[in-house]
Amino acid sequence: MRPVIKIAAVGAVAAMALAGCGSKPAENNAGGGSGTGGAQGSASGKKISACMVLDTGGVDDKSFNENSWAGMQAASKANPNITVKYVPSNSGSDYTPNLTKYAQGGCDTVIGVGGLMGDAMKKAAQQFPKVHFAEIDNSGQGMPNMYGIEYNTAQAGFLAGYLAAGMSKSGTVGTWGGLSIPPVTIYMDGFWEGVQYYNKQKSKSVKVLGWNEKNQKGGTFSGSFTDQNKGKSITQAMVSQGADIVFPVAGASGLGAGAAAAASAGKLNLIWVDTDGCESAANYCKYFISSATKNLSGGVETYLKAAADGTFPTGNYVGTLKDDGVGLAPYHNFDGKVPADLKKEIDQVKADIISGKIKVTSPSQPK
Amino acid sequence: MSQHSVEQVEVAPGEVVTQHLVEVPMSPSRRIGIGAAIVVIGLIAAVLLGKSAGSSSTRFDLNGSGADLTVPTFSVPGTGLIIACGVVIIALGVVQIVRGFGKRALRYVGIAVALLFIVAFLTWAGTEGKQSVQVGSLLQQTLFLATPLILGSMAGLMCEKTGVINVAIEGQMLFGAFAGALFGTIASNWLGLLAAVIIGGLAGALLAVFAIKFTVNQVILGVVINAFALGLTGYLYDAVMANDATSTNQPAVFNPIKIPLLGDIPVVGSLLFNQTIITYLMYVIVIVIDVMLLRSRWGLRTRAVGEHPKAADTVGINVLRLRYRNVILGGCIAGLAGAALTIGSVGQFNKNMTSGQGFIALAALIFGRWTPRGALGASIFFGFASALQTALSLLATPVKIDSNLLQMLPYLATIFAVAGLVGRVRAPAADGEPYVKG
Repeated sequence: MRPVIKIAAVGAVAAMALAGCGSKPAENNAGGGSGTGGAQGSASGKKISACMVLDTGGVDDKSFNENSWAGMQAASKANPNITVKYVPSNSGSDYTPNLTKYAQGGCDTVIGVGGLMGDAMKKAAQQFPKVHFAEIDNSGQGMPNMYGIEYNTAQAGFLAGYLAAGMSKSGTVGTWGGLSIPPVTIYMDGFWEGVQYYNKQKSKSVKVLGWNEKNQKGGTFSGSFTDQNKGKSITQAMVSQGADIVFPVAGASGLGAGAAAAASAGKLNLIWVDTDGCESAANYCKYFISSATKNLSGGVETYLKAAADGTFPTGNYVGTLKDDGVGLAPYHNFDGKVPADLKKEIDQVKADIISGKIKVTSPSQPK
Repeated sequence: MSQHSVEQVEVAPGEVVTQHLVEVPMSPSRRIGIGAAIVVIGLIAAVLLGKSAGSSSTRFDLNGSGADLTVPTFSVPGTGLIIACGVVIIALGVVQIVRGFGKRALRYVGIAVALLFIVAFLTWAGTEGKQSVQVGSLLQQTLFLATPLILGSMAGLMCEKTGVINVAIEGQMLFGAFAGALFGTIASNWLGLLAAVIIGGLAGALLAVFAIKFTVNQVILGVVINAFALGLTGYLYDAVMANDATSTNQPAVFNPIKIPLLGDIPVVGSLLFNQTIITYLMYVIVIVIDVMLLRSRWGLRTRAVGEHPKAADTVGINVLRLRYRNVILGGCIAGLAGAALTIGSVGQFNKNMTSGQGFIALAALIFGRWTPRGALGASIFFGFASALQTALSLLATPVKIDSNLLQMLPYLATIFAVAGLVGRVRAPAADGEPYVKG
């Protein structure tokens, strides 16, 4: 039996090693110091080393990891005094070791990507009071050396909802999520509110399938951020109930909605989420009326700029429509199909949300 | 009340065996227990659903999408139908308590109770009258979601009937999904299909070599292969697909093929006979396995090896070779299940896109008592529960249902079904036992 166990062990180790490879090289340096390639920017302020701990999706997930890292690169390009690097996490158990490694390794600031890292970030911030931490999609949690970079995506969802209601021919639109958690349902809240606002303004009765802000325990969810097949199934079920525009808030699972749109022979169109769909899911661009976006790279870049200029900001940054932290992506293929009046109305709705004339009521909004 | 019947069974070509089936009567406590459970289900339908139902009549739409011939939608009086269903269920339960159904009859009674309850439940869900209940779409989505599960459970069946536990269905599906997407883009979706089957078979061969030749613990081995599949496809996705999706990860999706005549039958036609090639292959695989397992030399030998390999060896069956062949074939079927997700459905691969469906397929196999028909039924049941969850969340039901509770639905239903209807579950006797000659 001995050799058998050995072989099994070797197999297991090989499998684990490959599983580890799943998210790209362990560490990466980019941007470099002054003179290596940051020709466009000019060095200013003090030299800082900024390090980013990514979540499990990997640096090219076409979503929040990639965009957060893009903000780091942009800041480094604009100001070569900012040195940047990142490390991916293969699972939730990597958060603390990665954070600790960077905090001890001479990083001036450690940026964590994703609200799931919250507890690990707080512990690290307590353990290393001299290092400045920042977390994307979470608040500063009251720590003096921690900065929260958050987004009020309900505002972006609101515009998406208004747009969907205005573009729907059947009078029924739909939205569904990956899991029933606040970062997902906040978009769905906004979408629902946007449709209700449209109905009130126009005395119409566009229906929303899949979510109702008044019933936070209901809603339609795929139960996964990876299961495309279920996403396709949900979207087709919505079409059978009459929806002609669907807003999936479910990462890769949401791509299944793209497959449903492709199979619908032009009956179904979509609004994408988080990033501009025509860039992150370009094969489905022709079905995307627009996208409800959050500007992760901008938030990170602004933070690093302020840090290099001398002071690490504390407290929270909340991205809103006002500072383009959240917004609606360009219409791309639908530019000619969205009526000019509707575009104008959406600009007006945006202005009204900024001025406070329209109140977004989602309970999941960052305070 | 013991029943006795004689049956002629052809176990292999030319070998007819006379079987004397003696049905042992059910113990009174079990008989009454099952009857009481049925009565409770009936009461839930009649009282709970009947009372909370809305006042409108329920509109049903039996047409799925893509049907040429449609049947008109129709309305039924909500509360009346719900109570009627409940009363019939209660009556069946009372008959069971008083005199008991035979074993075979009880199975049909179980199915009837389940169907009546589902009718009552769907009627209840539509009694607010705002939307019609899309039964056609619900059934279409059931088959759509069940197809990979059915294929996955058949993959498991091939292995386990012959005595090798296959926990690696998930990983084999993931390999198949990846290969289907990659080769479907580079070459054509037909070659993608072939590649998925071959790569799935290779993953099956990996399982076979370690399980049969090196007699590694098969459950641990399965878990390792799953981790290996997740890691390798994830790595290859990053290395190959992520940066150049157009030329590596955009396979053409198989279009539905409508079978002449059969496809024109209203409701059933568009549901069963307007499907992709993978779904048709699934039909064929299920039928072939079901027939062959009971009526061919291969089937008899497979079952013998799974139950008592030593005895099979004694009569000259090459146990190891048969196991190799079946486990590799199982891997091929799992590869096809993976292809059903990419080139059969969404047209691109993403990391971990199987999302646990391989494990659900394994559960369906066990729930289906390691039989092809049972596994088929259980897979359809899981697919139905998943589709129902979506359909319910889209309807304005009389009582609001928590989305987390809905997510639980398939698993909750499994517990009830396993506890109440299936009874004792028995795996092939030599399942998971490596065979060492001598």
